[in-house]
Amino acid sequence: MRSSDTPTTRELAQRLLVNEEVEANPVVSDMQSVCRVCDRLRRPLTTLAGAAGFRSLLSRALTLAKQESPALGAWEVKPDGSLDGLNGEAAQSGVVLIAQLIGLMITFIGESLTMRLVHDVWVDLPGSEVSFGRNESK
Amino acid sequence: MNEQTKVKINQLPTGVPGLDEILGGGLPEFSFNIIAGAPGCGKTTLAHQMIFANATVERPALYFTVLGEPALKMLRYQQQFSFFDAAKLNNAVRFVNLSQDLIERGLQGVLDEISKRVEAANPSIVVVDSFRTVLRSELHEGKDMAVQTFVQQLALLLTSWEATTFLIGEYSESELRDNPVFTVADGLLWLFQQVDRNSVVRKMQIMKLRGQASVPGLHTFRITEAGLQAFSRTLGLVGQRKTFDRVKYLSMGIPTLDEMMGGGVPEGDSLLIAGSSGTGKSLMATQFLAAGIRAGEPGIAAVFEERPNEYTARASEFGLDLQTPLADGKLEVIYLRPLDLSVDEMMQEILDAVKRTGAKRLVIDSLAGFEMALAPSFRTDFRESLYRMIFALTAVGITILSTLEMPETFTELALSTYSISFLTDDIIRMRYVEIDGQLSQIMMVVKMRRGAHSREIRQYQITTEGIVIGERLKNYVDLITGIPQPISVLRSEELLLNRKV
Repeated sequence: MRSSDTPTTRELAQRLLVNEEVEANPVVSDMQSVCRVCDRLRRPLTTLAGAAGFRSLLSRALTLAKQESPALGAWEVKPDGSLDGLNGEAAQSGVVLIAQLIGLMITFIGESLTMRLVHDVWVDLPGSEVSFGRNESK
Repeated sequence: MNEQTKVKINQLPTGVPGLDEILGGGLPEFSFNIIAGAPGCGKTTLAHQMIFANATVERPALYFTVLGEPALKMLRYQQQFSFFDAAKLNNAVRFVNLSQDLIERGLQGVLDEISKRVEAANPSIVVVDSFRTVLRSELHEGKDMAVQTFVQQLALLLTSWEATTFLIGEYSESELRDNPVFTVADGLLWLFQQVDRNSVVRKMQIMKLRGQASVPGLHTFRITEAGLQAFSRTLGLVGQRKTFDRVKYLSMGIPTLDEMMGGGVPEGDSLLIAGSSGTGKSLMATQFLAAGIRAGEPGIAAVFEERPNEYTARASEFGLDLQTPLADGKLEVIYLRPLDLSVDEMMQEILDAVKRTGAKRLVIDSLAGFEMALAPSFRTDFRESLYRMIFALTAVGITILSTLEMPETFTELALSTYSISFLTDDIIRMRYVEIDGQLSQIMMVVKMRRGAHSREIRQYQITTEGIVIGERLKNYVDLITGIPQPISVLRSEELLLNRKV
């Protein structure tokens, strides 16, 4: 586990996925939830880092996630920054990918700014007071 | 046009200490400006400082990044500065990356995206970083918009939308001529980073500023964890020297010396203590400060040769308690030895300390140490800089005591190696003399600009109680050369000569 991929980032990733499942109408699969979370993060991150920047970040997160969950082996990031090659079996590993993506954001811009960006996207995210331990975010 | 009919140009604060004064009051509102300079000279930090100082949720700042430093990395580094307010991110301060627009649609794409964002956000400040990369020819070659048209349309758009704009670019001075960007710009702020021997000196220049008078010339600035701090080269030269209704004499903390000086040092004067190493200049300066503290006059010591705790510890060896006033805020010890200091920085540091403490007395110990702390390029102008600094500090009414180490010669009495005697109102000279086969110390008041003073040459000693001044040395001549002759010897020689004659 990388220093920025912590139980707290996992928990946050899990909550984002659950939130997407609950909010989606009609109900979506685990796999679709992963895509929805990535897609919602894509907008602020593309604004900040450009489309290429977001794609690089997601690709790095996917590479790190694959090390932990080989089931993600077929997943790829398309040139437009969306996910491709998703298979149902690996969908449950999606939380690893989201956690890695959030972990990367924390690594680059810190916990405070990362949480601001997340909260800007999920304004009503329940339990939004999630706090990363000082040691965890380093 | 008279004052009533001409348009008033509002000024925005830069958030950079010292820069508003250099700009002539602040940033002209709705102006279209360039921040130029080589990589690493502080352009982006300056822009960030300005946007965080001005952006609000109602009138946000839009910060467009183009092929240069990605915003994610920019945020990573810029949040290290204390001015960075994370709470403003994405509401009052918004970062937008335009790389894709530039790559796919060239200048027209960039202009369209900026237009869209500006119209939606109603920003008070717009920054394009790096504008230079937007204009690189290979990126817009074959696209349908010329650079000049792009710049003019951008300026028109942003001014119409009442935005104050900053285009950041890595330009060199050779590009100043015939460049449409510089022609259109209302303001041109150039940042320099000069290497001189092992020192790095940062300077800025307002090359152009429409609508208001800025301070011409190069001004030093420093980048600290608080961001940029600028020091106007005319700092302190504005305004009159403070005058006092009646002359108040400040005690030197050595009663006999006060008598020799005609009552002490006149308030607001600049006093120079010149002497060779070990003659007690620093001790005299410390006694001067301690006397001030006892009289309820806060003080500042700018020291270059020892650290603040060493300074107060040395004072305590002579029974002078500087630790208590230091803790109480009645004394500040400024220790600066960065080796790339500018006089302006030192002056600003002292002026800030004067404001904080209400100081009436200032000790600069020593001028030689001060000179050593300066970057080599500033040392060449040391004399002029001292003139400016002393003028600025005495203008606020503070009484300055500077120490100056002099090489001891035994043929003459030099007053200063810098030829700065004219800068000081009063001069005390301390030196070694050989008397009866022993090294003794003498002092004399050489100059008191405002009044009469003793002409006596007095022997003194450094004791655990401080400097103790003895009697006038009446029985010697040539004392100031350091090798005096007893008068009795001269008389006998005279008698002998007369006999021969």
